[in-house]
Amino acid sequence: MINLTSIQYFYQTQMETLTKSVGKKEGKSLVRSQMELQSNEGDQSVGISNDVETLKSKKRKAAITWYIFLLPSFLGILLFMVYPIVESFRLSFFQSNGTIEKFIGIRNFEQVLTSKTFWNTVWNTFFIGFFQIMITIPLGFVFASLINSVRKGQNFFKVIYFLPNVTSIVAAAMIFQFVLHPEMGVVNYALDSLGLPTSTWFSDPSTSKWGVILLAVWHWIGFVIIICLANLQAISPELYEAAKIDGASGIQQWLFITIPNMSGTFAFLLITGWIGGLQRFNEVYVLGGPNGSPARSIQTMGAFIYERGFTGFEFGIASAATYIMFVIILIFTFINLKVSKMKL
Amino acid sequence: MLSLKRSFLLLSFALLVAAVLVGCSSNDGASNNVSEGNNNPESEGSGGEGEWEGQSISVQLIGDFTMEASTDPITGEKTKGLEVLKEEFESQHPGATVEFIIMPWEGYTEKTQAMITSGEADVYQMPGIADFAAQGVVEPLQSYIEEDDEFDLDKFIDKQVDGWKALGPDSDELQIYGLPFLGDARFITYDKQLFDEWGVEYLSDYPTMEEVAEKAKQMTGKNPVTGEQNYGIWFRGDWSSAFTLINLAEGQNGRWGTGFAWDEIEFEFDSPEMVSGLEWLLEMQEYAPEGLVSDQGNEKWLTQDNNIGIVLNQGPGDTIMPAYAQGLGDRIGIAQEFKNDENQGGMFAGSPITMAKDSENKELAWEWMKFATSDVMQQYVFEEANAMPSIKSVKTWDSYAEVENLMAPTLEAMSTPWTPRYPWASSQPRFILTSEVEAALTGKRSAQEAVEKAQKESTEWLENRN
Repeated sequence: MINLTSIQYFYQTQMETLTKSVGKKEGKSLVRSQMELQSNEGDQSVGISNDVETLKSKKRKAAITWYIFLLPSFLGILLFMVYPIVESFRLSFFQSNGTIEKFIGIRNFEQVLTSKTFWNTVWNTFFIGFFQIMITIPLGFVFASLINSVRKGQNFFKVIYFLPNVTSIVAAAMIFQFVLHPEMGVVNYALDSLGLPTSTWFSDPSTSKWGVILLAVWHWIGFVIIICLANLQAISPELYEAAKIDGASGIQQWLFITIPNMSGTFAFLLITGWIGGLQRFNEVYVLGGPNGSPARSIQTMGAFIYERGFTGFEFGIASAATYIMFVIILIFTFINLKVSKMKL
Repeated sequence: MLSLKRSFLLLSFALLVAAVLVGCSSNDGASNNVSEGNNNPESEGSGGEGEWEGQSISVQLIGDFTMEASTDPITGEKTKGLEVLKEEFESQHPGATVEFIIMPWEGYTEKTQAMITSGEADVYQMPGIADFAAQGVVEPLQSYIEEDDEFDLDKFIDKQVDGWKALGPDSDELQIYGLPFLGDARFITYDKQLFDEWGVEYLSDYPTMEEVAEKAKQMTGKNPVTGEQNYGIWFRGDWSSAFTLINLAEGQNGRWGTGFAWDEIEFEFDSPEMVSGLEWLLEMQEYAPEGLVSDQGNEKWLTQDNNIGIVLNQGPGDTIMPAYAQGLGDRIGIAQEFKNDENQGGMFAGSPITMAKDSENKELAWEWMKFATSDVMQQYVFEEANAMPSIKSVKTWDSYAEVENLMAPTLEAMSTPWTPRYPWASSQPRFILTSEVEAALTGKRSAQEAVEKAQKESTEWLENRN
């Protein structure tokens, strides 16, 4: 009886609010169910006629509608993401040229993990990624701070610095081949004018990685600046005012107020930068082909996978290398999260 | 109100699903972009009346083919589209329908793999024939050739049929799986004007390594006429450098190795001929502009301001039409690559056409293959698509006579390559050898160490593969 009373109370309050907010039609149907509820009070059972829409069923129907809208994209993800991921895992245990397959257990993993070429690509990937991040984030932050300090033309600088980021990396890589051309490139011309030694850049294994780093820094720095600027503008001005009253200099404000308040942004840039850096493929493919010329000096893990899978028809090896790369990225991102204390 | 809203949402969803389904469905029976420009109602859908009624084939082509007439961006000349071939073939085969699927060279291997796995086309242009024949997805052609009285393999330029022979999944004897469709060749090119300015005699038709080295040395330095810095030689130090090196070994009666099937292949990458070949390349690097390991330094080649005397390992696609487009048709000379005592040497290249094993209209597909290697289509390929034909009758065409000084040595090169083709040309050994040539050219290793490392890594790869 207590339960029934509480249900009655619930319906009453619902009815009142709904008749007020939704309108008469819906309100009437609820009144009807309320009446039925009262009339059945004698035999202690609750009966709701079939043609009545309850709030619950309405909610359920509304929810289904949204699931239906989600369905096409979900199917897309199933077909083009989940299926290839699972299929690639299966393939990593087979020797496969695309049609003819032979199960070989974990031999593909053994081959990749014992391949000096693969570990060379891991080294290249980390080397390029490390210097890209270590140069871009501090430099981008300094530029963002400078842009944030200027009174006029902030938007102009934002656009100018962000432009490289909207350029296609493939086109940028092609242009960089000319920028770093041994004889006709502007970089060597500038170095020569300053009396500094020039380099053959992409024709020398010891400098080609630095060519890629230069390109990567140039391309990514606009993004870093925009993200840093967003954070800089979100730091409360009151903090700076208080610091000024306490007699803090501009540098002290930057060191003790700005930088600590940027930690979340730095962590975000560090993690996304590393994930992007470890997946590097497009620019090194344009600059050095699938085998990272010269002498595999700029071949990344992604290029290794492409070389074995799509030029040599070794889909099993390529799939195994993909999973090894996935594990490397997973472990490294986990370490990054711990180091940067970023909350997921 | 609510039901109207719901109906609207459901209708939107139904439209979305319909759009997705239409987008993902095959083009069977529907007119699509590849058959655009075809105004002949008889050839639509199920085909018209005639001997080949209701039969249709899809033909995959790679490269600079277009369905409709277009203007060449380099020469400015109008070129005809594939629609003229479609009309011709369909009028020769009443009732038949042919459709084209054109793809770019970029990533053609994986695209062909995807297409052939899903049975998208009946006839394929297939440079990677050895890999696909081994998968058992292409039809052997010997029986078609034998049963067809009209067809004669002698019409092809020498070596072209042999060059494309491949091994099937279970056979250990090379068979014909493809007909030569686009020709290609590798040769040495040189700038006659630079030779004249330096007072050096032109390269002979079949130069030796010594001759090339000597003339390259003579032409490096300040040009006596123009005063510009000239370089005697240039070659790609990356991508194709493995083939340049193999050709140097062939020129000294060496070879890459033996065998065709993976379990029979034995590499000879560390042979004395390979070592001396690589040492020769290292020496030649002294007479080349900087940057050849990253495909740089040759920016002025095939321009009026050219500063390079000799360029190794070139193909007709990069040379003949671009030379004429720049008005350098008479200035550029072609010499043969290094040949062995049997007059063989240089990479075999080009594209054959093959028939898919699961084609439903194999007779019509064969008819197309004959048509594609007939004078009509071969002439189209040469005149409209800037590609090399594969048949001997090219010499009788007017269009050949106009460019004969460059075409004659090209055809010569096409009839003297190393056959069968290098079976490892798109696999790991190619990349291993290329990387080691690069390592030697950039001073990381000596020639001897580089070829030994290439031999070791290639042999290990082969062992793991088998």
